[in-house]
Amino acid sequence: MLELLDSGFVLGQLRSGVTTAIFLFLIASGLSLIFGVLRIINFAHGSLYMIGAYIAWDTTARLPGYGVSFWASVLVAACVVAVLGAVVERCLLRFVYRREEHYQLLFTYALVLIFSDAAKILWGTEAHSVSRPHGLAGSVELGGVRFPTYELVILAIGSMVVIVLWLSLNRTGYGRIIRAAALDREMLGALGTDVSSLYTTMFMAASFLAGLSGALITPIRSVVPGMDVEIIVDAFIVVVIGGLGSLWGTLLGSLVYGMVLAFGIVIFPRFSIFAAFALMALVLIIRPWGLLGRPIR
Amino acid sequence: MIIDRRKVLAGAGALAIHPRVARAQTHVIKVGVPMPLSGPAALYGQPALKGAEMFAAEVNASGGVLGRRIDILARDSKASADEAVRVARELILKENVHFLVGTMTSAEGPAVSTIAKEEKVILIAPIPKTDQLTAPRNLHPYVFRTGANTTIEGRSSAEIMAKWTNVRKVATIVHDYAYGQDVAKAFVEHLKRLRPDIEVVDQQWPKLGEADYTPFINAQLARKPDAVFSGMWGGYFVTWVKQARPLGYFETLENRIINPAEVGSIEVTRTMGADYPFGIWSNTYDIAHYDGQSEAHKKYIERVSAFTKQDPPSTWPITTYVAMQFLTEAIKKANSTDSDKVSKALLGLTIEAPFGRQTLREKDHQADRGQFYGRMVKDARGGPNAVMSEVRYVDPKPFMD
Repeated sequence: MLELLDSGFVLGQLRSGVTTAIFLFLIASGLSLIFGVLRIINFAHGSLYMIGAYIAWDTTARLPGYGVSFWASVLVAACVVAVLGAVVERCLLRFVYRREEHYQLLFTYALVLIFSDAAKILWGTEAHSVSRPHGLAGSVELGGVRFPTYELVILAIGSMVVIVLWLSLNRTGYGRIIRAAALDREMLGALGTDVSSLYTTMFMAASFLAGLSGALITPIRSVVPGMDVEIIVDAFIVVVIGGLGSLWGTLLGSLVYGMVLAFGIVIFPRFSIFAAFALMALVLIIRPWGLLGRPIR
Repeated sequence: MIIDRRKVLAGAGALAIHPRVARAQTHVIKVGVPMPLSGPAALYGQPALKGAEMFAAEVNASGGVLGRRIDILARDSKASADEAVRVARELILKENVHFLVGTMTSAEGPAVSTIAKEEKVILIAPIPKTDQLTAPRNLHPYVFRTGANTTIEGRSSAEIMAKWTNVRKVATIVHDYAYGQDVAKAFVEHLKRLRPDIEVVDQQWPKLGEADYTPFINAQLARKPDAVFSGMWGGYFVTWVKQARPLGYFETLENRIINPAEVGSIEVTRTMGADYPFGIWSNTYDIAHYDGQSEAHKKYIERVSAFTKQDPPSTWPITTYVAMQFLTEAIKKANSTDSDKVSKALLGLTIEAPFGRQTLREKDHQADRGQFYGRMVKDARGGPNAVMSEVRYVDPKPFMD
């Protein structure tokens, strides 16, 4: 634990904690958004992330000229997943809105199984790998700590997503309607808003974020079957800590989780995962609605 | 009403003719192969099965064993212990197989071993590595292992690192589950015996399935090791390398890293291409070409190539091929397919595997199976992909006990 006195080491762990957090935020924000407005706990959110990763890998492999093709394929992946999300919402999900919660859970879990098998049929069971885009393969040194340049770019993209999400929820007319839908969808419908198309748009936006984060993660992780379930567990821990439906809560939850992982391994080398779960349990006992969430009426 | 599948199966087996009686009546020798043939592990399970199939085809073409054909009955174990047990039972009770050659993961192997014990049908495990499979308290007359175990793999790696004279401080990174814990323990203990001057300065234990290794990598670098033993495998290795490289991990360690777990196989080098951490040491079950390769091995590689229509061929067929060699030699020696007689014949049996002589030890039913180790480099042979150089077969005989 003596390393904790070494500023270079602490900065290094901080860096890795923040990087973990920004990815978790990208994925968990969509999950939280869907819950906040549609009141659905979407297990299949991780599947959309996985499909984003596979599409990004597939398109990168097909397009010529690596540097440009990577970013083009990220965009393609995010858009295709957004459309897929819209189709899922229009054709399937809307029939279970009025069902009881455990039906909805079972339904989205069924989607997880379907998407996971579909991905295996389409892309096989091998691990795939995407190289870092040209010019972003190295790292820069800041204050004695190496920052991989690709992760700096992710940090910038993640911060932009936070700002855009906050602005569009709090400073636009559409955002006001979304917030209203989260509070009382029946009243909103009675006031003449087309709630059904609002739901489709929200699901599409959340799917876009899932596809985007899946695509952006490919240069850092391998693209493998099972990455869907892996990420959804982490994303749930994050939203439970931060509060389902709260944007800032999701950001806070991501940061807490990232830091617990980064510093936990120094303090309890073999129990850092336990620390994250313990924290979640503690939050559930003391504030079941999460650190920044609101109790559900 | 809840019906217990196992009870129904067992009942059905008891009602039908006793399996052993049924088996004796058939002229064909049936070998059941439970192996992951779907899901992520199928990447290795499918080519592994090819070895047994090719062996059977070759033996049958030359008149069979004791004048009897060998039939391979493959079943998908889905890399799950429950499913492996289910298909193993089905193979024994419904198909009346004489022997089982198969299982891949360290969960499947011990699970099917208990079935082998109950039904008195020999299981030869070609791949599972956990020491538990043949540990004294789990050993019984019907279980054998022809693959390397975690002790062999950890100690082989220690033998190689012990020769790195400029290394004083060593670190390890393995997943926190049976395989990772066992292989790291075997490595550390053997290394300390060989080089008492070496100090283990850090051990990282990410969970299996960890997607984010950066905090572990960063913490490891902070302890300034001279060399690292890593137990990453398959897709986890790919992820780990991608996250470690930009942090300067391989540069700082000057590639003084040994990572067994078959990341030196062409399956992994093909996936990673130019992103492979050139310069590290690794191992593989098999290798198509190397200096000092025997004629027998070259011929074997040509045959696998032709059989699987792949050049260079997969490195996994050798696992079940060697297991089948042991089995047929024992059947010949026993002049019978009776489980007890073949089990006795397997004890201390020596065969000529394509890569050299192999003996199944009497005391622990474990073959003295080593692997090919070498440094992964970039050269003309591999194009953009890494190839193994300084290839050596590490014979575990001197350090298995």
